[in-house]
Formats: sequence, structure tokens, C-alpha cells
Amino acid sequence: MSDWEERDPDAGRRNENCTASANESNRPQTLVSVRGLQKQFGATVVLKGVDFAVQPGQIHALLGGNGAGKSTMIRIITGDLTYDGGTVEFGSKRGDRPVVAVVHQELAVLPHLTLAENIGIVHARSFIEPYSARRAENIASKALSLIDPHLAATSLSRMGGDLTLHEAQIVEIARALSTGAEVLLLDEPTANLTVAETERLFAVLQRLAQETGIGIVFVSHRMKEIRQLCDVCTIIRDGRTVVNARPIADLTDAEIVRHMGQPAHRNSNSEAARTRSDHVEVTLVGPGIELPVHLGTILGLAGSPDGPSGLISTLIGKAGTSQWSLKGEGWPSRPTAPIASVRNGIGYVTGDRAHKGVLAQLPIIDNVLASRRIREKRRYISRSERAECGDLVRTLGVKVDSIWSVPSTLSGGNQQKLLIARWLGMPLRMVVLEEPTRGVDIGTKREIYALIRKMADSGTIIVWWSTENVELLEICDEILAFDTDGRCTGPLAHETYNEDALADLTGMAA
Amino acid sequence: MNTEAQSISRALNIGPSILGTYRTEIAIAIAIVVLMLGVGAFIPAALSAGNFANILQAAAPLVIMSLGVLLVVLTGGIDLSVGSVFSLTGMVTALIMSWGWGSVPSAAAGLGVGLIFGSINGLLVTAVGLAPFVVTLITYAVAGSLAFIVTNGRSMGIGAPDFWLLNSGQLIPGIANYVLFCVAFAALLELALRKMTFGRWFYAVGSSANAAHLLGVPVKRTRFSAYVFSSLMASFAGLLTVSYILNAESTAGASLMLQAIAAVVIGGASLFGGTGSAIGAVLGALMITVIQNGVNLIGINSFWQGSVTGIAILIAVLIDRFSHK
Repeated sequence: MSDWEERDPDAGRRNENCTASANESNRPQTLVSVRGLQKQFGATVVLKGVDFAVQPGQIHALLGGNGAGKSTMIRIITGDLTYDGGTVEFGSKRGDRPVVAVVHQELAVLPHLTLAENIGIVHARSFIEPYSARRAENIASKALSLIDPHLAATSLSRMGGDLTLHEAQIVEIARALSTGAEVLLLDEPTANLTVAETERLFAVLQRLAQETGIGIVFVSHRMKEIRQLCDVCTIIRDGRTVVNARPIADLTDAEIVRHMGQPAHRNSNSEAARTRSDHVEVTLVGPGIELPVHLGTILGLAGSPDGPSGLISTLIGKAGTSQWSLKGEGWPSRPTAPIASVRNGIGYVTGDRAHKGVLAQLPIIDNVLASRRIREKRRYISRSERAECGDLVRTLGVKVDSIWSVPSTLSGGNQQKLLIARWLGMPLRMVVLEEPTRGVDIGTKREIYALIRKMADSGTIIVWWSTENVELLEICDEILAFDTDGRCTGPLAHETYNEDALADLTGMAA
Repeated sequence: MNTEAQSISRALNIGPSILGTYRTEIAIAIAIVVLMLGVGAFIPAALSAGNFANILQAAAPLVIMSLGVLLVVLTGGIDLSVGSVFSLTGMVTALIMSWGWGSVPSAAAGLGVGLIFGSINGLLVTAVGLAPFVVTLITYAVAGSLAFIVTNGRSMGIGAPDFWLLNSGQLIPGIANYVLFCVAFAALLELALRKMTFGRWFYAVGSSANAAHLLGVPVKRTRFSAYVFSSLMASFAGLLTVSYILNAESTAGASLMLQAIAAVVIGGASLFGGTGSAIGAVLGALMITVIQNGVNLIGINSFWQGSVTGIAILIAVLIDRFSHK
């Protein structure tokens, strides 16, 4: 097996020199080509004939609703799954080297290894090979310098656990490149990134595609990012390819949404100034700011994750060193624990679904009703809870076999709905949401927006943190902006807000 | 679309099927019956009423201990101290009786051992935040050595003439107390775990302590009570054994800790927390006892017991692994 460290690190320059490596002679060849792909799980036909091809240097958007068959196809391409019909061909055959590398939504950076080790670890030539820190560093710095020379120069010995999400993502990309992958597949890579980090990632990806000629497949639900980054798009719907590698400029947003099989909603903006009570229910008191909040307000929090975290942790009973507090009759100034928040009628939908959200081994009924039992001081599990849970699940349109199945059997979008179901139909004073639409398709997003509005209309205060400014502008009555240093840069009233003003206040491109 | 919605709503309203909920437990019950019939094919006496009573008597302390360990395992923890607490309880009880105290105060003092060590385990795990394995390894060692210290290593006979009643008396006529205790504790725990809100908390904490905390579950209190319960059950099992053999020994519980953990695992609990049931733990304990009983009856050298039990654990875990999905 030839090794990365013996290869010229700067593949871009190599292109210009036109050295006749195996890679180069294949240059115009399609990197991955999938034709008529079929796959069945038991009686369920998931893929009914999918076509998909990636060309060198291309940034290819792969779109489709939750459950359309994207992930199944990806898992077949990477060799995780077998297929029942059709063909999967790779432009170059290189023995056991992976041609396609996937950068997953859940980042696989090992916290107790250094950055260099995190990349070098996939390069052990044999099981008994002595570990060489220098070799790992060489491999890592060569791979990294292609993408982020600054990180390569400064951070090789930092621990994986200390990296920011953006840096961890860069490390994953570098790891994929270091194995000689020709196609890089990114599954919602921006889900955890701020707008600024997203911009940086896109710059990296575009440079990579141009200079090294690798193909990049980008899976995302964010239309704006897709337009900004991608050249062509393929849309999968119900296990079939409905749009095959069309230039993205040829399609309007509405067309894309239609192809994905979801009704194109009109922006049902809250412009029709929803009638709100004039009574100030609670005042949020932070460093240098006091914000009165009315019943039924949807308050958006804009900015990088560090910005609103102080306010959010106060609200959910994990105040710690947060400088925020609450002022209002019957409101605790700083709930002492999450249980105090729940008892005071403050609900919370976490942004970290996998680690702080679902109770993976527990049946759906326990997942949905856990907080309700505590809030309503129910001691016993009564039979009527079954109907209660069934109603909630149905109201939200969560696709489940039974309320006794476990959440790990559900797709990400459906898990997200479960988290929201926890707080639905319960008299709550406030619900705190962290990126509730992250990783869900457009149709589900609309449903979630509608649910949140309904909650607000019933008098619940909604506190909504999102890194998607457009989303906030569409949904919220008021927006509290935080700059990149985490300082609150002030509230925007509904009448005055727009993308530019928000970009200004958060210090990030909209 | 419409039919899909209907089938969903139909599926949602039905309760959990007994077969689905207790799949693992049913499989173990069948395995136990098969095992007993297998032994019975060689040794007919294995299927006599007398031998059933033997098995139940031998299983009783393990069953009760396993119920305690189960609760800790559900929360994602482990309790290595139960065997030592079992021994120490017996020694303390016997010692106090030798001072002329009656059965009830001596037994209460014995249970006090469980309460103290359970609280220490619980506090070190929740308030100090140490790993359950480390904490209970410490109390395992300390309680184990105290069991020797209290009598200087001598075994001790039971002084109180009425103490045998705890194990072999009949609170309900016709049913020996040790059977009654097993059934009652198992039924109460199973009911609490399924039908009480706080019972679901043990599963929630074991599934994701972070998520449970944010949902308002009192994670620390739940964990703490699991350790106290576990030690109390170990203490009670110790009393029961002493009451049966009317003699306390410093090493009485030495082999029981691993057996209790094995019973819980055979019964379908995951050592990562979040899954398991009281009925499963009881059946796991019964299975281990039936294996030991069979090995004895067939006349295999009893040194083989551990190997046979180990293979039984492997088989149970494999069945569990492949019957889910």
C-alpha cells in the first residue's frame, strides 16, 4: 500500500505540473457513478432506481426529504450496505483504499487524542507497527496544510476534545483527504456551525474542489447554503432520482421544493401582527439590558452559540456564572435546577439531541411524558397516558410504529418532533428552543414553525435560538442579538428588523 | 395515506404486548424449564418437590440481592460491594445476638450495615462524583475486611432461639417466608419500575443522565436511592442466609457479588444502563441456581460450576443480542 506521506502534499500544484500519476490520467472520468440502484429492507422498498454521478471538481448538492433514501444510497456507496439491483461504479480502482469518505453530522474526533493523532490514527500500516508521533504529525500537517495552514502550524498537539466544532470538522475533512479519498461526502456539515464558520468552511470546500479536483457531495436542508456553494443538484424522492445533476442555477427554490415532494408554502409571516397582550409577563435582565417580554411573544436569539448561552442557561436552571436573571411576579429570578424550571413551567428543547435530548433506550411514551409527569406531579403511570401520548404523537405527525418502540428507530426529524411533543398541550409559561429545525427537511420545518406559533398563540412565551437569521426574521416578534464575543447587542423590534440590521448586530454575515 | 394514518392510530392505542415487553424473560423461563428437564432426564430426583424446595431456598438470597443490584445497573452504575455487605451484615447480627440482644434489634442493626454502606456508596457517587466501579470497589474491600475484624475471623453461631423464623417461618400459612419475600419484593419492584413515575426515573437516568436532568428528573436522588436499596437488599439477603444456616461466616457472601451481577445480566439488563426488569433479575438468579443444583446432582466436580455458569451467561447474552432486531 503506497502511503499518503510519500505522496506530494500539494495536489493542486501537481495538477498544474500535469505529472502522470494514476489520478491524473483519470482526471475527466466520473468519480462515482450510480445507476438504477435498488434496495429493499424486508418488505419495504427504499430505493426504486436511483441515478447519481459525481464528476471531478464538482460540488454536488444531494437533496431529498427525510426518508427519501439519501442515507441508504450513501451507505451503499461507502460499502456499509449491499444493494439489490443497479450498478455502483468508481472511476478509479485502488484496492482497499476508500474512494468515498463521509464526514458525518456527528463528528468522530477522539477527545483524548491530539489533533495529529486523530488524523494519523487511520494510517497505521499494520497492527503491530510501533506508533510514531512524528509520522502522525507529518501526515496530519500535510493533510491539514491543504485546508487550513494556520491550524496545521499551530494546533497539531492540541487535544481533540479542545477543538471547536468548526476545527473538528476541518480535522475530519483532513482525515478523509489524507486517506486519498476522491469524493468527500458532507452530511449537513453546517448544522453545528455559526454563520461565520460556515463561510470559512465553504471557502475551504470551494478551494479544495478547484485545486485538487476531488468531488464534493453536500447534503443539506438549507436552500441558501446550497445555492451559495453548489454547482449542480440531484434530488431524490421516494427512492427515485427526480432531478439528476441539473445546474442549480436552472432551478428556482419553489421548483426544488416541489421536486422534493413537499408543498411549497407561502411565507406565512407573522406580519399580520398577531395580537399580543400588553401585560409584561416577565423581564429578562442581563448585563446592561432589561427586556420586557409579553405573553405569547416569540423572542428570537441571534448569534453564535456562545452568545445566548448565558441567557438560556439561566432560563433552564443551569445558571452557574451566567449574568442573566428574570424579574416578574411568580417567576424565580434564577431557577436553581432544571427541575425548578420544569416546575415553574419553563420547557426546554435542547440543540444537542443525541446527548441531552432523547432517552434512547426508553419507549417513546416515556420520552414524551417524562417532564409532564414531573410538572403535574403524577405519581403513577396510568393507562390514560397511552391515549395522551398517542394523541401528541399524532398531532405532530411523528411516524412511529408504536408508542412502545424506542427513539433510535426514528429519523432525526421525527426525533426532533418528539422533543417538541414533550412540551405540547401543557400549560407552560415559556419554552426555550435551541435550533429546533436543525437537520430536518423543509416540510418538517414548516410543521415545526406552525406548532411553535400555535404554542405562542396559546400564551406561551417562546425563546428561540437559531443561527439561521432568515428563520428568526420570519418567525419572531422580537429578536435579541448577540455579537461574536457573546455580548448582547440589543433587541430589534419586529417593525425595524431586517437581514442587514441583524448581520450588523451579530457581527456575522447573514 | 388514509389507511396509513389509521394503522398508525390503531397501533398507538394498544398497550404493550406481554410478548414484546417480556421477550427476554420468557426466553429465560423456557431455558430454565429445559435445563431442569434435561437434568431430570439423568436424575429423576431432580424433579421432585424436595429438590424444588432446595432450589428455591438456595436461590432466595441471590434473588433478593439481584433485585438490589438491578436498580443500580438500571441507572448505568454497578455495585461490587453487595457480597461484602452481605457477609458483614451476618457477622454484625450474630455478634450483637451474642451480647444477649433479641432477634429484632440484632436484625435491625444488621440492616443498619446495609443502610450505612449504601449511603456511603450513594454519596460518593452522587455528591463527590466518583465512578461507581471505584466507589463500590472501595466499600467492597472495607466491608469485606470488617466482616473478619468484628469477630477476629471466627464464624459465629446464632444465639436467639427464634431467629430461624425469619427464613423458614410462615407469615402466610403454607408458604415459607423466603419464598414470600422473593415474590413480594420482586412484584413490588416490578410494579414500581413499570407503574410509578419514580420507577421510570431509574431507566431515564441510565439511558441518558444529561437528558434526564434537563427534563427535571432528580438524577442524584435517583442514583443515591439505587445504591441504598442495593445495599439494603444485600443486607436482607445476608439476614435470610444466617437465619437459615444459623451460623455467620466472614466469607459467606464472597461469591455472591458476581453471581448477582450475572443474574441481572442474564435477566436482560444492560450494564450500560436503561434496560432490564425485576422479573428478569429473578429468573436470572433462578437460572444460576438451577445450573449449580444440576451440576451437583449429576455429580460433576463442583469446581465446574463457574464454567457452566459462565457459558450460561454467554448464551443468555447472545440470545438477547440477536433477538433484538
